Amino acid sequence: MKKKIGVLLLSLVLVFSLASIVGAQEVKKEDTLTYVTIGNQNTLDPHFSYDTGSAEIIYNVYENLIAYQGESVTEFVPLLATEVPSEDNGLIKDDGKSYVFPIREGVEFSNGNPLTPEDVKYSILRGMINDRDGGPIWMLYEPLLGLTGLQDLVSEVLGEDISPADLSSEQSAEVFAELEKVIEVNGSNVVFHLRQPYPPFLNILAQGASWGSVIDKEWSIEQGAWDGSPYTIAEYYNPPKEDDPLYDKMMGTGPFTLEEWENGDHVYMKRNDNYWRRTANFKTVVIQNIDEFSTRRLLLQRGDADIIYVPNQFLSQVEDMDGVTITTGIPTQQNMVGIMNWEINTKGNDNVGSGKLDGEGVPSNFFADKDVRMGFIKAFNYKAFIEDVRMGNSIQIGGPIVRPLLGTSEDQPVYHQDLAAAEEHFKNAFDGELWEKGFQITLLFNTGNSARQTGADILKTYIEGINPKFKVDVRGIQWSSYLDALVQGNFTLGFMGWLGDFPDPHNWVTPYLAGDGTFGGYKGDLYKEWANETVEPLIEEGITTVDPAKRKEIYKELQTIAFEEGIDLWLDQPTGHNVRRTWVKGWYPNAMRPGLDAYILDKN
Amino acid sequence: MINYIIRRLLILPVILFGVSVLVFAMLMLVGPYQRLSTYIKSPAELKTANLDSLVEKYGLNDPFHQQYGRWISGVLKGDFGWSETAGATVTEAVLQRFPATLELALLALIPVIMGGINLGVFSAVHHNDPWDHVTRVFSIVGWSIPTFVFGLVVLMIFYGVLGWFPPGRLSVWASDIIRSSEFVQYTHLNIIDGLLNANLKVVGDAIRHLVAPVFSISILWWAYILRITRSSMLETLRKDYIRTARSKGVKERVVVKKHARKNALIPVVTVAGHMVLGLLGGLVITETIFGYQGLGQFFASAASQLDYAAVLGLALYFGFLLILINLCVDVSYAIIDPRIRLE
Amino acid sequence: MEWQEVLINLLRNKISLLGIFIILFFVIIAVFAPWIAPPASPRDPYMIPRAGWSPQPKPPNEEHIFGTSENQYDIFYGIIWGTRTAFRVGLIVVGISTFIGITIGTISAFYGGMVDEVMMRVTDIFLSMPFLVAAIVLTTILGKGLDNVMIALVTFGWMSTARLMRSQVLEIKTEEFVEAAEALGASDMRIIMRHVLLNTIFPVVINASMRMGSIVITASSLSFLGVGAPTGYADWGQMISFSRNWILGTQGNALQFWYTVVFPGVAITLFCLSWNLVGDAFRDILDPKLQN
Repeated sequence: MKKKIGVLLLSLVLVFSLASIVGAQEVKKEDTLTYVTIGNQNTLDPHFSYDTGSAEIIYNVYENLIAYQGESVTEFVPLLATEVPSEDNGLIKDDGKSYVFPIREGVEFSNGNPLTPEDVKYSILRGMINDRDGGPIWMLYEPLLGLTGLQDLVSEVLGEDISPADLSSEQSAEVFAELEKVIEVNGSNVVFHLRQPYPPFLNILAQGASWGSVIDKEWSIEQGAWDGSPYTIAEYYNPPKEDDPLYDKMMGTGPFTLEEWENGDHVYMKRNDNYWRRTANFKTVVIQNIDEFSTRRLLLQRGDADIIYVPNQFLSQVEDMDGVTITTGIPTQQNMVGIMNWEINTKGNDNVGSGKLDGEGVPSNFFADKDVRMGFIKAFNYKAFIEDVRMGNSIQIGGPIVRPLLGTSEDQPVYHQDLAAAEEHFKNAFDGELWEKGFQITLLFNTGNSARQTGADILKTYIEGINPKFKVDVRGIQWSSYLDALVQGNFTLGFMGWLGDFPDPHNWVTPYLAGDGTFGGYKGDLYKEWANETVEPLIEEGITTVDPAKRKEIYKELQTIAFEEGIDLWLDQPTGHNVRRTWVKGWYPNAMRPGLDAYILDKN
Repeated sequence: MINYIIRRLLILPVILFGVSVLVFAMLMLVGPYQRLSTYIKSPAELKTANLDSLVEKYGLNDPFHQQYGRWISGVLKGDFGWSETAGATVTEAVLQRFPATLELALLALIPVIMGGINLGVFSAVHHNDPWDHVTRVFSIVGWSIPTFVFGLVVLMIFYGVLGWFPPGRLSVWASDIIRSSEFVQYTHLNIIDGLLNANLKVVGDAIRHLVAPVFSISILWWAYILRITRSSMLETLRKDYIRTARSKGVKERVVVKKHARKNALIPVVTVAGHMVLGLLGGLVITETIFGYQGLGQFFASAASQLDYAAVLGLALYFGFLLILINLCVDVSYAIIDPRIRLE
Repeated sequence: MEWQEVLINLLRNKISLLGIFIILFFVIIAVFAPWIAPPASPRDPYMIPRAGWSPQPKPPNEEHIFGTSENQYDIFYGIIWGTRTAFRVGLIVVGISTFIGITIGTISAFYGGMVDEVMMRVTDIFLSMPFLVAAIVLTTILGKGLDNVMIALVTFGWMSTARLMRSQVLEIKTEEFVEAAEALGASDMRIIMRHVLLNTIFPVVINASMRMGSIVITASSLSFLGVGAPTGYADWGQMISFSRNWILGTQGNALQFWYTVVFPGVAITLFCLSWNLVGDAFRDILDPKLQN
């Protein structure tokens, strides 16, 4: 009896699976767009988001005052504003210190609430009060107030170091009064007041910058976001992610609305039928997160996915696929650079061997010696890296700034492998002592990043070939340890990348070159001193100058210094690509778009 | 027996407490700044993240007992903390993935037990003849192939070449159906839900996705069950009452089916606890290979990102499950075989 | 049964003989690795040399007879040196964890009472976490590297031995010669060493040898998941993880990269198979229920 049931069950299973194999080929739905990518979304709160996964969703649901025009990252079109401010139309005033945005009328949020200038003001102030640790809001503080965050403003206004989270309601009001000066509602206009001119200010507000999103004041307050009162800064400052009321809710003016979010698995968006422009072509947009590349590839091959994310190294696997279009060579706003630490911590750091110049390790100031840096730079095989690792999909760079931003040009010098020159540099380093004694060093990379690993492997191969006394180890560690090594000063040389926040050279020279930059800040005091004298005055001048021609010269000079001094191993700017079914129409690239823009696409 | 059950239940919290201290102690081996990486995902965030204040905010530098105290007092209130990996609270994350794993495990049990026992009986009946050797060698080969090798080969052939058994839990079109308002998710087990909603397409799709992982789990466990069944079957076959039955002229098939088999099954029950433990561990690999969003995959990714809240929560959850299953096994064993007395 | 008898039985049994042959084959490979696949850099022979910088695997050719995997690691070299890795991990982990298990099991059973209770509850705690998962957590914390993998596997690998040892010792403790020794006032240490261990250790050692296969699989699983051996280290699990993004081939040629998974897959399967074959025969020989 039992056996019979078992047999019955088994045959049922077989029948079902056979039936399902036959019925597997589904018809393509024209009103659904499916995009399959990796990773997850950190949050859906535009003021919290600082990762592309989140920004991608925010891009499709929220809107900013202005947007980039087509493929350009320097020209704008109006979006929720009706005009793009410029000197010519008189909407940029006071020598670049006031920006006037006339707000579009007749726009509604997807819940039916009308968009008002008050919403814009609320959005900016809510972001600035929210100002989470490690978040993107410094990009509002820097142009508007010349500060890095709310903490700085509190210290400035109250004259004492008190955390914004501990403000009393009176103190809060005092700080708020100063904060409120940055943005003003004037009839149907919104006016931003900057303390100093800040040329890339429009970039900071353009679509794609989630911190510039306009949210619905009434709805946000209902959800429990900042209540709009001057007295409550302490309550809403730097919330833990899990307590953020807008963490998993969205209400924008954009072409889509959020339907369902299962973090790390999928996001469903529905068409906003109340949209102020032509409504979107898709009723449903699905963003699926699948980390396994092979799975994504087959989804695309079988037509279950319309667009997929393909890491560069796997591009060859989709090249000859039927019904698939690939666009390559898209300039991106990111680069890869070998960071060299000028002051390596030698205590308890197993990356530096003995920590001395005795052939068994490297001294703390190893990379502070220009000849050592140039030795490493000249030993790297740039051609092999770009041809084999990037498979030609990248542009070599000669400094921190990427193309097509100010300060770069097609004919700027880049490094080339020159083993004779490398040998010469190593011979000169530390007055010849290094060549005689040799060294042993460990280069780190974060595991899973094979481009960074190969970069380090290339250095190992060629440098060990120059002198048998040179020993280079390559060690992969997890991202957490990698970051920890950087922060603790245990970093030696390792490859890092920067993803542009906004397309302006300022955003590239600061992290790499400034003594307190994201990378520069972890190169020790030796570097700080050097940067203080040579590059920092230029960086300061660059961001306060309004005239583009003058700025161009400044950034060109910074680029030249970085190149000639060999501050870091300036490697490349990978170009992007897009892989989609040919039936997806309307796609065009834009380097500042965080990912998918479902509104411009169509499957008919 | 009641006493035994009570004693075991009393010990349960002690063990769980021990597990949590053990896991917590392991996690504390990691420096506070390294643990910050859970909160800092890209170098860009270093600009405005005040690392020291973050360490202070999350109390990462506090002494062990304080950090542990914070966590355990949350747990006692039912709050297992926030999992960065899942982007949800640990409780939510576990509840969300549990049905997927349960469905996989339940479905795998059928072929594992049925196949393993039948193979074992077969092998015992053919004791020491070529069939015995063939069966055993095959099952040992199955036991020896690492799941990740087998899984990849299955994917390569049955998905890459033939396109039959795709990875994941459901096709995109099928997840569209189960998310639609007409489809009621009673149990979140897709096969059962599909049957209850009379939607055979969903059932078929769910099964199609389960075939490959279930098969790779089964092949692994057959050797194990085979061995136990075979050994106890051989023992039973030598027992007096079987001999009597044989001498009375009862057919060999009937002897095996009616008498021997039933008694040979008892030891299989005893290893169920061990099996569940191995199964849970094995699911980590199986789910990862087949992109099946369940607890195993979640555990693996939480562990590799040092998502301490999730790791602790899952360790407790698995520990709890395991102890409970072992208790059930002991009790049912005592019920099946009255000679056994629980200490 | 005496150990000589067991050995004879093992050699008579065809299944175990096959296993022993395969093990010997791997021993030869491991011993002669430097001659079969000469290392490029003698400083660290376990790092697989890269034949280039391109990410795409290349099929077998004259220079690389098993082809190269993702990022141009030579598959043949990795398999040869990976044999050493497998033996090293297996022997060290099994050895140390068995030693720990024996110590804990013996002490626990010999002294009984509170000592036993506490030790067994600690064992329960360690047993309450799935082995693989616990190992993942600990290796992640300790960082990549074979030493760390071994530490993790030892930490969570001693419990079954401890339990087995405990039951063995409990059995023998009541026997006359132990009680006699105790009555004669022999020291605990002496009794344990002389009378208890000698008479109980045999099944435990056999049990240990049977764990070789599963330990090597677990270690490889860790590497496969990316928390085990360092990138580029000759380790079978890692070599298989290199194949992961390529096994589905390209459209129209789904088996294009078969060699990336098949060669290391066969190596690891054969290795584990050999130990399991021997183990299976062992169990058959020792199973009291099967003895006539």
